[in-house]
Amino acid sequence: MRQISAAYIKAAKELLREKSALFWTIAWPMIWVIIGSFSFTGSAPPEVTPYIKGAIAISMMVFALMIAGMSNLPASIAGDRANGLLAKLISMPVKPYKDFLGRISAVITLSFLAAALVIVVGIALGARFAGAGVQIPQAIGFVFLVICASAGVGLMTGTLIKNLQGAIMTGVGIAVITSAISGLFAPYEVLPVPLQTFARVYPISSAQAAIVHLLAGPDMVAYNPLTSSQVTLTVALSFALLVVGTVLYTRLGWKLE
Amino acid sequence: MLAIRVEDLVKTYGSRRVLDGVNLDVREGEFYALMGPNGSGKTTLASIIAAVRTQDTGIVEVYGKNPAHAKEFIGYVPQENFSSPKLSGRENLIYFASLMGYSRDQANQLVAEMLENVGLSEEADKRVAKYSGGMRKRLEVATAIFPGIKVLILDEPTTGLDPAARRAFFSMIQGIMDRKTSIVLITHIGSDAELASTVGLIDGGKMIAKGTPDELKRKHALEDVITVETAAKTDSVLSVLKDFSIDGRVGESEAGYRIYSQNGDRVLADVVRILDQAGHKVMRIEMSRPTLEDVFFALTDRHLQEATG
Repeated sequence: MRQISAAYIKAAKELLREKSALFWTIAWPMIWVIIGSFSFTGSAPPEVTPYIKGAIAISMMVFALMIAGMSNLPASIAGDRANGLLAKLISMPVKPYKDFLGRISAVITLSFLAAALVIVVGIALGARFAGAGVQIPQAIGFVFLVICASAGVGLMTGTLIKNLQGAIMTGVGIAVITSAISGLFAPYEVLPVPLQTFARVYPISSAQAAIVHLLAGPDMVAYNPLTSSQVTLTVALSFALLVVGTVLYTRLGWKLE
Repeated sequence: MLAIRVEDLVKTYGSRRVLDGVNLDVREGEFYALMGPNGSGKTTLASIIAAVRTQDTGIVEVYGKNPAHAKEFIGYVPQENFSSPKLSGRENLIYFASLMGYSRDQANQLVAEMLENVGLSEEADKRVAKYSGGMRKRLEVATAIFPGIKVLILDEPTTGLDPAARRAFFSMIQGIMDRKTSIVLITHIGSDAELASTVGLIDGGKMIAKGTPDELKRKHALEDVITVETAAKTDSVLSVLKDFSIDGRVGESEAGYRIYSQNGDRVLADVVRILDQAGHKVMRIEMSRPTLEDVFFALTDRHLQEATG
């Protein structure tokens, strides 16, 4: 437990003291919540506008979670490998899975912090959410799935891309490109059919659609992301990404040759 | 008692044999310098002893155990700066203390003592990004000397340090040696290796020589060089100096002569006395000792710094 908490405290402090991580994970999504709240709601009926703002805040919250997992986590792994910390840790009686749990817990903490701040900014700008009761814990469950999937991709990137800048840019690239083609930045209904299929299969965009469906209302999503088959697919692929990332990291991430 | 035993160690990367039948013994409490140029295999050897890498064939033992099962005895300081620049010196040490299994309270107390030992108490709460190279290296050595550590492996710890920082670093190492910790210093700097009790020279993945610094110099017939300048260069001076030099060899320098001796300290005073008795005024006399770089050159016909590139 001491090794997990040591890895957690170190990673959390480093993330919270890294200006670029804070900017891309917290400030950048907030800026887009502000821009989106004023730019994309002009033609909507006044009674619907707060829920559109809510949907925008949720999309940007998901983007913040993606950046935390897909860019900050691999940056932490690749950085520690590049600066010799990994060699130092291998020489110590430290278990890789404990380091993994500490690191990922720090990313989860930053993710929830970023998510909360983005939602608060959205609410301050007039976003409203329709969800209540059991829908709130369900939405939190989908937030957790986004974190799992993002962290899985981040673990794979951090393990396979040895160079620090390469790991960061690959993570940001995956986050931005998959967001763009899966409907995170644009309504699902304007996507071409192949990308609509991708949006339903990609666990992050399908989880985001589920959160919007639960908190901003079903009218804000062009398909039902809460059918049992869709939820099963989202859950299975989110955990699959996390498991593959974890196995890669614990098997290959701790090898220098 | 042997702290480290390495026998017939072989390690290859692809088709390149980095270590080729290396043997090495380090006794408990010994300060062993492993010296060689870049690419000689010394860092690979250190990382195998530190359980970071594994060998292809051969035996490596730390206190009779496979290094992977002796990690609690091994303190390893890689060449790269691994401390986190975003954390303070104290936070870095508490992180490593917690990884070693100390509770928060134990870690706080122990870290305060260690910061004192490495001379960083006053800078403890500054972020490491603001540390000088020497301070950072001392902090990183502190991560490798927790109680129970019996073998300290330092990979090129003084690279990039100025002379004052190097002196401070080795003063700290002297303090560690007093605790009977065995130290393996990886270096390509002869003056660093001079401080060790035993020096192993490695080149091309093979150990090419081993001994105390003085033994290595004697064994390879390297002499002290004494440069003598007198008021005038005369045959009489030359004749006196020939009696002191090995094989009667006397070289000439611009303003005087050079003689060679394996016992420069003693000869120096005798030269001054005899020349004085013969009526020759000594204007300047100085002795330079052979270095471990000279030993490396004698063995390989290559200068260490050139080989290091």
